[in-house]
Amino acid sequence: MSIANLRPARFEAVRPTLSMASLRASRPGMFFGGTVAIGALTIAILNLLLHIATSNAVYELSDIQKEKKELITTTQILGEQVDSLSSQQNLSNSAQKLGMISNSNPVFLRLADQKVFGKPKAALNINGRVSRNLVPNAALIQQSTMVAPTTEVLTVATEATTAGNVAKTNSAAGQVISTGGAIPASPTH
Amino acid sequence: MTYLTPGDPPKRLKKVVAIIALATLAFSIRLVDLQIVQADAINEISYANRAVTRTLPAIRGEILDSQGEILARTVYRYDINAAPSKVKPVSRSVGGQDVLIPVEQIAQEISGLLGMTAEDILLKITGTGEYAQIQKSVDADAYRKIRALNIPWLYYDPIPDRLYPNGAVAGNLLGFLGAEGQAQEGLELSFDKCLAGANGEETFEKGVDGIKIPSSTITTKAAVDGKNLHLTIDADLQYYAQQVLTDTVAYRKADWAMAVVIEVKTGKILAAAEAPSVDPNDPGAVSVDDRGSRIFRFAFEPGSTLKSVTAATAIDQGKANPETQVSAPYGWKVPGTGYLVTDSHMHPVEKLTLTGVLRDSSNTGIMLVGKEVDYKTRYNYLKKFGLGQKTDVGYPGEEVGLLNSLENWDGIKKYVSMFGQGVSVTPIQSAMMYQAIANDGKRLWPTLVEGCEDATGNMVRPAVREGVQAISAATAASTMDMLEKVVEQGPIGKTAAIPGYRVAGKTGTAQIARASGGYSGRYAVSFVGIAPVDDPQYVVAVTVYQPRTISNSLGATPPFKSIMQQVLRTYRVPPSTTKSANIATEW
Repeated sequence: MSIANLRPARFEAVRPTLSMASLRASRPGMFFGGTVAIGALTIAILNLLLHIATSNAVYELSDIQKEKKELITTTQILGEQVDSLSSQQNLSNSAQKLGMISNSNPVFLRLADQKVFGKPKAALNINGRVSRNLVPNAALIQQSTMVAPTTEVLTVATEATTAGNVAKTNSAAGQVISTGGAIPASPTH
Repeated sequence: MTYLTPGDPPKRLKKVVAIIALATLAFSIRLVDLQIVQADAINEISYANRAVTRTLPAIRGEILDSQGEILARTVYRYDINAAPSKVKPVSRSVGGQDVLIPVEQIAQEISGLLGMTAEDILLKITGTGEYAQIQKSVDADAYRKIRALNIPWLYYDPIPDRLYPNGAVAGNLLGFLGAEGQAQEGLELSFDKCLAGANGEETFEKGVDGIKIPSSTITTKAAVDGKNLHLTIDADLQYYAQQVLTDTVAYRKADWAMAVVIEVKTGKILAAAEAPSVDPNDPGAVSVDDRGSRIFRFAFEPGSTLKSVTAATAIDQGKANPETQVSAPYGWKVPGTGYLVTDSHMHPVEKLTLTGVLRDSSNTGIMLVGKEVDYKTRYNYLKKFGLGQKTDVGYPGEEVGLLNSLENWDGIKKYVSMFGQGVSVTPIQSAMMYQAIANDGKRLWPTLVEGCEDATGNMVRPAVREGVQAISAATAASTMDMLEKVVEQGPIGKTAAIPGYRVAGKTGTAQIARASGGYSGRYAVSFVGIAPVDDPQYVVAVTVYQPRTISNSLGATPPFKSIMQQVLRTYRVPPSTTKSANIATEW
């Protein structure tokens, strides 16, 4: 065999060829790379969206917490006003403005035999000394705004005091009925 | 085109690669150093820059009366501060246009809300500093109004503060806190362990904008709020008693007055009122002496209210009965001492029974009866009635009173102690002596606190000692009968009578001992009473100290009557249906 005859054969042997096998090997790599890239991108986008959502929630939460603080402050302000209005000092002043006097002569009725214990007497305002508030309260920030008692109530009160014995007063003339409309009150004798 | 490249390109390439490799190695080493070796330290520095630690304040517990009415609770006040270096006019939208509001006008707006002058405010906010306090402890309403002005250089610090909604009602009992929130007086002090919580601590990370990063909070220590303290006091009754006493002090020009209301069968203190009374919201408004409770801290010679104990002792020892006859002279020489003890008013020898002795409050008469009992025995009875012992009611600084040891009882004390001199008692001890008489002879230990209640509603009640049988039930009944005659027939006792009710009681007009010895010309006038006699339920003890317009128990019976009437009305006690015992008072 001559050399010339051998050359083509050698050339063919060393010439690089693109075979199906190498193509098959590179496609999964590209696919994998592409998947990773898309996945990473998706995660990044999701992360971004989540971050935006969380950030919004943070501000929303912060607003809610501020609102809660405001409501607590409102509760405290209202609570202090209620405290003031329900304090003994305010009630005492209000009672005095309405002309109310504590009666120290209670009368009891025993239901079993309808026996009356005690002697009914009109309440006396002893020089008016103990009817006004004398006990200090620096926390009194709110006071009742009083409605002046009606002429009818004043008249009844005067009659009762003048009579000296509440048991003898004419109860028909002395009926004081609530006209507030909120809670129906029965005439009290 | 041909490029001429000097040197050996492959070699140069190798050098570049080597440099890059070295740089990469250096960075890698640094990376490992930062990320692994120094990681903890760097994280710590970073966290410290982001992390904020703040105290979680524990809320102090409430104090409530027997009906659940709140007598003390915690609210928030606000310190109003400014940064003077940042003070400048504030832009505000007025009528759709931005207007620059001058600092002077802002100061004027704030001044009205803070009750200060604009000049004072300007003085405080002028300067270059970063901090100036304009006013401390502003209430929530004013704070909100100021904050609504949107002044960027104002800052607000919330401060927990104590609020006493009913002011001076039970103020002498409740006590108060200091400027820093520490308990200083009264039950706030003695029950601080119950009321005070434990502050907590939390750490969180903040973003650049200063807002807390959610889920970054680490509570290192949770705050534990204080527990609620429940008292036996009825706030409405307490208020009424304080009203009466304040009026009495003014009317009688007295130094002070006090009243105690005891529930006979339980020993509960339903009211412990004083005048002057301290408003714990503003304790500085009264003198230091008026900020505590004299009911537990002030011991004085009780005077004639102790005669009931002497009479009960003689009866319990079988040496006397309510009708034991005594010839009571105006004056009687104390054997072996040369001292002449007299009655309060001149009178011939009076033929009195023991009941009559109490009715007229005869010093000579009670000594003639009491001396029949050995003084050591009488001393023991005084102890059984609670003299010389603290009541352990839980009020801080309680006074023990003076009984002295038996060895120190000299000749005169053996006698004058029978009518309340030479010994001293606190008002609460005095009230509990009568509680024993009203409770079939059994003296209970007074209670002021129902218990300490935690958040789950579990109430821990203070331990109360077993009562002491001071006298027999029969002796107690006889003593009650005698004391009822004091109110029925006694010249002063009559003024304590309450229509419809059987009332027993005893007057006391005690001379006030001088610290230097001897007695002053002033008196502590008292009346201790029990009602209703047919079913003893309440003891009311009233003392008016150093009244200037009266020198006998007529100064104490009107407030007693008012308060006892209120007690009977409050607790719906029906009037008596029986009559008093028929006992002779004279012979």
